[in-house]
Amino acid sequence: MERRVVITACSAISPIGHGREQIVQSLLKGVSGIAPLREDALISRFIHSRVYGTVSYPIEYDFSRQYRKTMAPVSYYACQVAKEVLGQAQLPADFVTGGRLGIAFGSIHGSPTVQREIYKIFFEAKDKAAYQGIGAVDYLKSMVHTTAVNISKMFGITGRIISSGTACTTSSQSIGYGYEAVKYGLQDAMLCGGADEYDTTTVAVFDNLLACSTAFNDTPERTPRPFDRARDGLVVAEGAGAVMLEEYEFAKKRGATILGEVIGFACNSNGGDLILPNLDGITKTLRLGLENAKINATDVDLVSAHATATKMGDIIEAQATGRVFDKGPHVVGLKGYIGHTMAACGVIETIMTLYMMQEGFIAPTLNLEDIDERCAMIRHVQNLVELKTNTAAIQNFAFGGVNTSLLIRKWA
Amino acid sequence: MTRQDIENEVRKIFLRDFEIENPELDANLREAYGFDSIDAIDLLLEIEKYLGSELTQEEKKQAMDIRTMRQIIDYIEAMAARREMPRGGS
Repeated sequence: MERRVVITACSAISPIGHGREQIVQSLLKGVSGIAPLREDALISRFIHSRVYGTVSYPIEYDFSRQYRKTMAPVSYYACQVAKEVLGQAQLPADFVTGGRLGIAFGSIHGSPTVQREIYKIFFEAKDKAAYQGIGAVDYLKSMVHTTAVNISKMFGITGRIISSGTACTTSSQSIGYGYEAVKYGLQDAMLCGGADEYDTTTVAVFDNLLACSTAFNDTPERTPRPFDRARDGLVVAEGAGAVMLEEYEFAKKRGATILGEVIGFACNSNGGDLILPNLDGITKTLRLGLENAKINATDVDLVSAHATATKMGDIIEAQATGRVFDKGPHVVGLKGYIGHTMAACGVIETIMTLYMMQEGFIAPTLNLEDIDERCAMIRHVQNLVELKTNTAAIQNFAFGGVNTSLLIRKWA
Repeated sequence: MTRQDIENEVRKIFLRDFEIENPELDANLREAYGFDSIDAIDLLLEIEKYLGSELTQEEKKQAMDIRTMRQIIDYIEAMAARREMPRGGS
C-alpha cells in the first residue's frame, strides 16, 4: 500500500533568518548570511578560511531545566524548530503522544561543543575530581541522535526514531525516510529535519582538504559562489530546519493546512571513493528520484542544487543535472545565501524551495556572476525570476559517497 | 552539621541546580518535580562536596532508592555520621 504524504508545517533557523517571513525577505533582497569566523581560542587561529554561515540573531528559548539539562546547542536549535512545526501543524495532543507520530532528525556528529569539553578532561584529567567533570548528561547531550531524542522527550512523541548522521545528506535522508515511513503505513506522521551548531572542527576538516573558501575572507558576503568561475570552496554554516509530514487522508480529515506534497525520494551510494563526487552515482540518484515520484524530467520546473561551491563538486553536479534535466528546470544553489549548514542543509533548502514555490518566485544563485563554462549545461538563475513552479527536486550529496534526491510538489 | 543545616543545604542545591523551589519533605521527587536519575547523579556529586569526602560506589548505589527530600536528608545524615565515627572513637 502506498499512501500520499503531505507537508503540513515547516520552520527553519538559518543564517539568513528565522522563520518564513525573514527567510523569504532575505531571498528576495539577496541577503547573505555569511560572516567572519569567530575566534574560539582553540583551533580557529590556524584555519585559512575566515568565513562562516552564522546565526547571529538572538533566539528566545523557553525550555525549562527539565529539558535543558540534556540539551547542547544543537538540540536548542532542533527543539526550537520542532516546537514551531508542532505549533503550526496543530496535531491533536493524543496523536502527538500516541505512537503514530515518529521523528526523523539528525546532526552530523551530535554536539562538538560538549565533546570538546569531554576530550579536554580526557587528555588533561590529573585527579579523580577532574575525571568526575565528565557529567552524567554529557553523552546524552553529545550523542549522534541527541536532537531526535531531545525532541521526543520534550513533546512526549512515542513513535519511531530515525536518526541519520550522514553528513550533508542527514536531513534530506530524514525527510526521505520519514516520507517512506508514512507512505508505507509505518507511521501516520513524521517530524523530520536536522540541525548543526556552530563548530570549527568541521571547518578545519574541509579547510585541510582545501575545500573551504579562503579568497573572500575580507568580503564574506561574496562567498560561497555556486557554479561561478571564481568559486573557491564551501563555507561551513549552522542552523536547523524541520518539516511535518502527514498521510494525506489524515491531514485532510483533520482540516490541516497543506503546504506541499513529497512525491518521491531516492538515495544511493557511490560505492567507492568517500570524498570525490561521482557523476554516475549522482546521475543515478536523480533518475531514481524521478522514477520513485513516477514523473518525467520535464515535469520538474525547479531544482535546488547541492552546489557547495567546491571546484569539482559543482561541475559534477551540473553535469549530472544536465544529463537528467537538460536545460529544462531553473537550477538554484541556495548555499550562496546560507553557506553549507551541514546536517541541516537538506531540510533548510527544502523549506526555502517550498517558500519560493508558494510565493511564486525563484531566487537567483547568490554570487553567481560569471558562470563556469564547465557548469553551463543547466539553466542557471542569475536574476530574481517571478514564476509559479509546481514540482521541485532537492539534491544533496555527502561525504562518504551518499546521494539523495527529494521531489516535492506545491499544493494547489 | 545539624539536621537543619543539612536540610538548608539540600534546599539550596535543589534551587540552584535543579530549579526546584522548596520541595515538600515527603513528596515523591520524580512525580512531583520531575527529578530524575540524571539529577540524582548530579546530586551525589554535590553531596560529596558538602561532606568533603568521596562516597563509595556501594554508598552511591544505596542512594538510588531515594524518593523524597526526607530520605535525602536521612541519607546525608547517615553518610556524615559514618564519616565522623572513626574520629569519635579515637
